[in-house]
Amino acid sequence: MASVSFRHVFKTYRSEKKPSVNDFNLDIEDGEFLVLVGPSGCGKTTTLRMLSGLEDISDGEIYIGDRFINYVSPKDRDIAMVFQNYALYPNLTIYENMALGLKLRKTAKHEIDMRVKKAARILEITNYLDKKPNQLSGGQKQRVALGRAIVREPKVFLMDEPLSNLDAKLRAQTRAELIRLHQELGTTTVYVTHDQTEAMTMGTRIVVMKDGVIQQADTPQRIYQHPANQFVAGFIGSPAMNFMAGSIKESEGRLYFDNRRVRLRIPESFYAELREAPSMRNVILGIRPEHLVSDSAWLQANDNKVSALIDIKEHMGADTYLYLNFGETSVVARIDNSEDNFQLKSNVEIGFQMEKAHFFDAETGANLRTDSRRGQL
Amino acid sequence: MQALFNQIRRLTLFEVALLASLLLLAAFLALPIVFIINHAFKPYNELFQFPPTFLVKEPTLSNFYDLFLRSSASIVPFSRYLFNSIIVTSISLFAVIVSCSMAAYVLSKYRFGLKKAVMAMIMLSLMFAPETVAIPRYLIISWLQINNTYFGHILPFIASPVAVFLMKQFVDQIPNELVEAAKVDGASEVRIFLQIVMPLAMPALATIAIITFQSVWSDGQASTLFMQDETMKTLPYYITTLTSGANNTVAGQGMAAAAGLLMFLPNLMIFLFAQKRIMETMVHSGVK
Repeated sequence: MASVSFRHVFKTYRSEKKPSVNDFNLDIEDGEFLVLVGPSGCGKTTTLRMLSGLEDISDGEIYIGDRFINYVSPKDRDIAMVFQNYALYPNLTIYENMALGLKLRKTAKHEIDMRVKKAARILEITNYLDKKPNQLSGGQKQRVALGRAIVREPKVFLMDEPLSNLDAKLRAQTRAELIRLHQELGTTTVYVTHDQTEAMTMGTRIVVMKDGVIQQADTPQRIYQHPANQFVAGFIGSPAMNFMAGSIKESEGRLYFDNRRVRLRIPESFYAELREAPSMRNVILGIRPEHLVSDSAWLQANDNKVSALIDIKEHMGADTYLYLNFGETSVVARIDNSEDNFQLKSNVEIGFQMEKAHFFDAETGANLRTDSRRGQL
Repeated sequence: MQALFNQIRRLTLFEVALLASLLLLAAFLALPIVFIINHAFKPYNELFQFPPTFLVKEPTLSNFYDLFLRSSASIVPFSRYLFNSIIVTSISLFAVIVSCSMAAYVLSKYRFGLKKAVMAMIMLSLMFAPETVAIPRYLIISWLQINNTYFGHILPFIASPVAVFLMKQFVDQIPNELVEAAKVDGASEVRIFLQIVMPLAMPALATIAIITFQSVWSDGQASTLFMQDETMKTLPYYITTLTSGANNTVAGQGMAAAAGLLMFLPNLMIFLFAQKRIMETMVHSGVK
């Protein structure tokens, strides 16, 4: 097991001007489950491949433990990788698939046997050891791919979207297994995904990337509650955070968020930092769907509310999503099913829990609260 | 049998018509094969019968007897041509498989400068029939001073753009992740090629083997142009001399028929053996 450090790592492909990975600087602690998440083309897979040695590093340094590994070939980096399409050798049996890495490292035969069988027991694939990969289902293949990584007992596990070829139910199940496996083995893991649910549930730390640049690196809770910028706020969370453009106005010593449709009073806890903001003219208000309320007691006690038209209603089981329109603005509210007595295409009062709101600079997208920018690099 | 009857009973009229026309077409395409097999066993009077017959009435082995025993009295015996053909074909086959699979693997899975240029050259050379490059080939072979050697037969075949192209198309289908997984597992380049890529490319290898075998086995160009020494010439050349050229064309007919069958049999056997794999490659590579 080992820590991993990226020191100002760049990747520029010859045919492209802009770097695919731009000044990636990160320390991953020993035993951490780090998730790289972002939209496709954000450089997360490239970063992982540079760590694996399958891709050259254009600039910067990568360390595994204390070892400088820029020029070390993949096989000597003591890593194991799990691929999206499993990449099992079709002509070898499951046993041989798992044993190959050890065999090539000249491990003693009885030890290979012991390790393969132990991994097979952990992953419950003992019955398939004599079969060929094409005789297995997707979920089973994924376990074999994991098994092939485990038997190697590497310093770092690298996983490149290992769950995205599985169906929804199997994905949830395997996700739980991966978490359990990480708790058992405690091996440093770098996990790439575009799925924010995977990122939120599995990561001890999440790195959100966009256009090759780290947007924020922090724990799942902090990323959710204190997004560093508008991109992170919109990317993490389902349904996505609602955004409204407007400005912050001051009257009688109080701050209000104001655009042509709404005028919302801002809690005093925001004042100090909002007053220091570079521009109060152009801000984006962000508020998560669960912080829009329809509870009548709340609505009576508070002023921050608007009247909106219910456009679409989605029943999600425990919750209902209301897609609301007021003027040209549309927002999503996530409400408890017990409160659901709304008619489609009717008007409803909706309240804004402004103490949970976020304010972003309209130009840079940065969160105006310095506390939230802490995780940004 | 019952199941087959049931299957036939369930066919629609269109399917019956389709099946019938396909059977007719297959029978028509099989005619030369039927003819060449029957022809080799015909006695002299049947060989020259008019109107000619397809099927042999009184089969005899005298044509083969003539071919093997009588011709051995001539300067160069039949067995020498056969030996040359076998040597040239087997070495060419081996060399083509080794060189083309290695070239295809590199062209498919590696990133390097001039890759596009190399591919363009291969595509370009696909367009030339062997006859069009006969003269430059002759010049190269005489410059290398390999006339009248087996290498002179083999060299023109080793550069096989069709084989490289087919093989590359097939290796392209093998996911890169497989190669990368093997790299991370610690496999060397040679091992990845031999143990991971080649077993998966078996269908393409079989196809290349057959294409190469057919072209080398039936090629008379090298013998005609590059070999002046009669003892270095191959079977196809000998057969053309039986039917035309110096020998008595009437007397040679029986031997020509027998030799024709001997030329054809290996092709047939290889095709029957590897039919399934060829189909697979053709489907994968989009070549028909």
